Amino acid sequence: MDSNALSSLGNLFGERLRTSLETRIAYSFDATRKVHLPDAVVFPETAGEVRDAVLLANRHRFPIVPRGAGSGFSGGALPVRGGVVLSTERMDRILSIDTENLYAVVEPGVVTETLKEEARKRGLFYPPDPASLKFSTIGGNIAEGSGGMCAVKYGVTRDYVLGLDAVLGTGELVRTGVSTAKGVVGYDLTRMLVGSEGTLGIVTRATLRLVPYPEATVTLLAFFPGNRNAAAAVNGIVEARVTPSAMELMDRTAIDCVQAVTPVSLPEGTGSALLLEVDGPGDAVGREAGRVEEACRSRGALEVRRASSVSGREELWKLRRSISPGLLRIAPVKINEDIVVPRSRLADMLDFLSGLADRKNVRIINFGHAGDGNIHVNLMISGVDAAETARAEEAVEEIFRTTVEMGGTISGEHGVGISKAPFLEMEVGPLGVSVMKRLKGCFDPNGILNPGKIFLDEAAVRG
Amino acid sequence: MKDEELRRLTALCARCGTCRTVCTLYPERKAEIAVARGKVAVLDAALTGEDEDARGVQEALTDCLLCGRCERACPNQVLVEEILMKGRADMAEKVGVPAWKTILFQGVMRSPAVKGAARRAAAAGQRLLTPVPTESGLHYRFPAGFGTAGRTVPRLPAKGFLDTLGRGEAVSGEVMLFVGCVFDHVYPQVGRAAYETVKASGKPVAVFRDAPCCGLPAMVSGDRRSAMMCAGENLRRIREAAPRAVVFPCGSCLLMFRRNVFSLFPEGHPLREDASFVAERSVDYASFLLSEGVLDRLPDPPAGEKTGEIGYHDPCHLSGTLGRGPQAREVLSRTVGPAFAEMEGADLCCGYGGTFNAREYPTSARIGERKIALAARGGTKVISTACSGCVLQMRDMAARLDPSLRVVHIAELVFQAISGAGRSPGRR
Repeated sequence: MDSNALSSLGNLFGERLRTSLETRIAYSFDATRKVHLPDAVVFPETAGEVRDAVLLANRHRFPIVPRGAGSGFSGGALPVRGGVVLSTERMDRILSIDTENLYAVVEPGVVTETLKEEARKRGLFYPPDPASLKFSTIGGNIAEGSGGMCAVKYGVTRDYVLGLDAVLGTGELVRTGVSTAKGVVGYDLTRMLVGSEGTLGIVTRATLRLVPYPEATVTLLAFFPGNRNAAAAVNGIVEARVTPSAMELMDRTAIDCVQAVTPVSLPEGTGSALLLEVDGPGDAVGREAGRVEEACRSRGALEVRRASSVSGREELWKLRRSISPGLLRIAPVKINEDIVVPRSRLADMLDFLSGLADRKNVRIINFGHAGDGNIHVNLMISGVDAAETARAEEAVEEIFRTTVEMGGTISGEHGVGISKAPFLEMEVGPLGVSVMKRLKGCFDPNGILNPGKIFLDEAAVRG
Repeated sequence: MKDEELRRLTALCARCGTCRTVCTLYPERKAEIAVARGKVAVLDAALTGEDEDARGVQEALTDCLLCGRCERACPNQVLVEEILMKGRADMAEKVGVPAWKTILFQGVMRSPAVKGAARRAAAAGQRLLTPVPTESGLHYRFPAGFGTAGRTVPRLPAKGFLDTLGRGEAVSGEVMLFVGCVFDHVYPQVGRAAYETVKASGKPVAVFRDAPCCGLPAMVSGDRRSAMMCAGENLRRIREAAPRAVVFPCGSCLLMFRRNVFSLFPEGHPLREDASFVAERSVDYASFLLSEGVLDRLPDPPAGEKTGEIGYHDPCHLSGTLGRGPQAREVLSRTVGPAFAEMEGADLCCGYGGTFNAREYPTSARIGERKIALAARGGTKVISTACSGCVLQMRDMAARLDPSLRVVHIAELVFQAISGAGRSPGRR
C-alpha cells in the first residue's frame, strides 16, 4: 500500500489504525490457520467510518477485508491480496431488542452468544447456533451465512435476518429489508448480502428476528452399532413426526477422536452415536423425547441416555463438543469440509467416505448435523508428506463430485472463501458463476471488497 | 532445540478463538493481539524469523495478566502460560529485560537482607506522599502525573514480620511456612496471622527465614536466569531442611513451587529432584488448616460480622490453576460462619498480574475497580483472599474507590477467630 493511502487512513482512524507487524500478524489468520499478512488493520466505531474507509480504498485502490472474530473455516477473513483488514470488534453494541415486535437491532461486532443471552433474559430466542457462537460475531455469521446445530428445526442465520445496513463496495451506505415479519418490496437485497462473504458489502447494522424461548428442552444421546442404524433412526424420528432441535451424528472415527482426549463412557460395540434434542412446551417435550427414544431403540440403539437438567444435558453434549478440539491431536493439519446431502442419502455418503478413506489411505473423521444431511468431513494429514497431501486433495475433489451427484451442496455453512473457490463452478455451473460475477460488479465495481474470495478468477468481475 | 520445543507447544493452537471469550484483557483492548491465539501467532512468526523485531514481540507477549483463563478454557489444552513465559524468555535473551527489573530480581529479591533495607528506605521515602486512611490500613497516594494515575501504596512497616520473630523462635520444625516477600515486608500482620494459625496445628513450625523471592516475578518477566537463581536457592534450602509440609499463604508463590519449577528445572536438571521433593510437600494455607484440623478447635463461628458481609476473591492461579477455591471457602465458612457468602464476580481476575500492574497501571486499575465495584454493589464489605498480589491490588483499588471496603487475607480472619480478640483484621 502506498504511503498516501496509509496517511489518509491515519487521518481517519488515528490510533485505531494499526500498522505494527505484531498487530498485522494477529490479523493475518482465521480458523483455517492459513496466514496472509494485511498491510494495516483499522477498527471503525461507526458506519460512517466504514463508509469513509471504503471510499478511501476506491480512491487509492487497496483491498478491504472485513473481519469479525476471525473464526471462519473457509478463509473469508484472510487478506489474501493484502490491503486493510477492517475489524468490527469495536462495533459491538446491541442497539435495541423489541419485545413487542420480536426483533433485535445490533451492530456487526456483537458476539452471537451475547445476543442470545440478552434475548433470553427477555424470554426470547435467537436460534442460530454455529459451533463458534461463543466468540463468532453476528457480522461474520451474516457474511458467511452461518448455520448450526438447531438448523433442522429453526433454520440458519439467513432465516433470521430481516434487514441490513451495509456499506457497498462503492462506499454507498444502503439500507435493505424490513423490520416487520413480511416484506416483498423489490429485490431481496438482504438475502443477496447474507452469505456474500464480505465481497458485496460490509454489514454495519442488522435487524434480526427473534422467537419465543422454548419452555423446556430434553437431550438424548443414543449409541448405535453403526452408521446405517443411526441414519435409519434419523429417518425414523422424522417418520414419527418429531422435529428435534438438534440431530448430531458422530461416526466411529469421530468417537475415537474424542476418546483419545477426553474419554466418555460408551456401551460395548458402539460404532456411531446420535445426539438429539427436543424443545417446546413442557408437557409436549416429554412425549416427543419418548418418541425419539423409541425410534432409536427400534432401529437398534445399544443405549439411549436422556437428560433434562442443564448439567445433565451438558454432560451428554460433552461427546459432541469435544470432537473439533480433539482433531488436532490426531494430525497437525485438517482439511475441513462441510458437505450436505439429502437426508435420505446420509448413510450412502458415510459409506462412500469410509471406502474413500481406505482407498486413498487418508484418515477421515466425520460428524455433523444429521437432520440437515450436513456432514463435517475432516481429512487429517501431516502436512509435510506431499504424496499424502495430494491423495487428500484428490479425495476432496471426489467427495465434492459425489456430493453434487447425490443432489447435495459442497458447503452447508462455512462458505466458499478460498478453500472451495476451485469447486464453485462444479456446483453452480458456468452460467451461475457468470451471473454471480455480474452481481459482484454491480455492488463492487472496483473489486475493493474481500478480493480473491469465492471466484478463482476475478478478471470477468470488472465492468 | 529450545525453539523446536516451543513450536511443538504452539503448533497445538487451532486459532479457533475460544480464548477470546475468557480473556481478562480482551474487553479492555478489543484487539486480537490481546488474546492467546494472537500472541501465539506473533510468537510463531518470531520463531520462524518472519518477525525479527524482538522488542515488538516482547511487547506483544508481555501485555498479558497471565491469569491463565485461556489455558483452562482451551479445547486443545494449549499450555499458554508456559508458551508465553518461554517466549518472553526467548525475547529477553535477544533484547534483555528492562534494567530496573534486573536490579530488582537479582539485586534485591534474591537477598533477604537487601529486601529489608529496600523496605526501610522506601518506608522513609513514603512520608513524602499524600496519606489516605482506609479500613485496611494507611495508604499513600502517588501524585498525579507520576504515570500512575492516582495509585496508592500501603504504608510500609518499620519492621518486617521476620524481624519481629525472636532469634530462637520457629527455627526448625516439620512444617515450614513460606511467608513470601509481600507478607513479610509489606503486610507483616498477614505473615504473623499465617504463622500463628499454622502453629495452632500443634506441629512444630519453622519459618523460612532467609528465603529469597520465590522467583515468579522474574520468571514471568522472561528473566529465567534470575528466576532459576531465586527458585533454585529456595529448593536447595527447603530440601536441606526436609520439612514434611511447606505451607504457602500466597497462591502465586505456591504456583511457583507446585508447577513452574518443573519448567525451570526440566527432566535431567540437577535440581529436578529437589523440585519434585518440594512440589510434593507444597500446600496452600487453607488446605493445610483443614488437613490439620486447626479449625476443629474453634468455638462456634463468632457473631459480630453481619450475614453475607465477607466474600472470597479467587486468586487466578490458586483457585483456577491449582483448584483450591473450595478449601478457602470451607475455611471461611468454619471461621466466620454465615458472615461468609459468595460475592459477585468472585472468580474475576483482580487485574494485578504482577509486573503487568507496574507496566500498565491504568488498565490494571480499570479491571480491578470493576471487580471491586461489582463486589461492593452486591453488598460485600470485606473481601478476603489468599494471594499477595490480589491483596496489594484490591487494597489499592479499595483506597481509590471505597476506603470503607476491607481487604484481608483469610489468615487474618482465622487468627482473629483463634485468638478470640475483637480486633479487626487488616487494621492497625
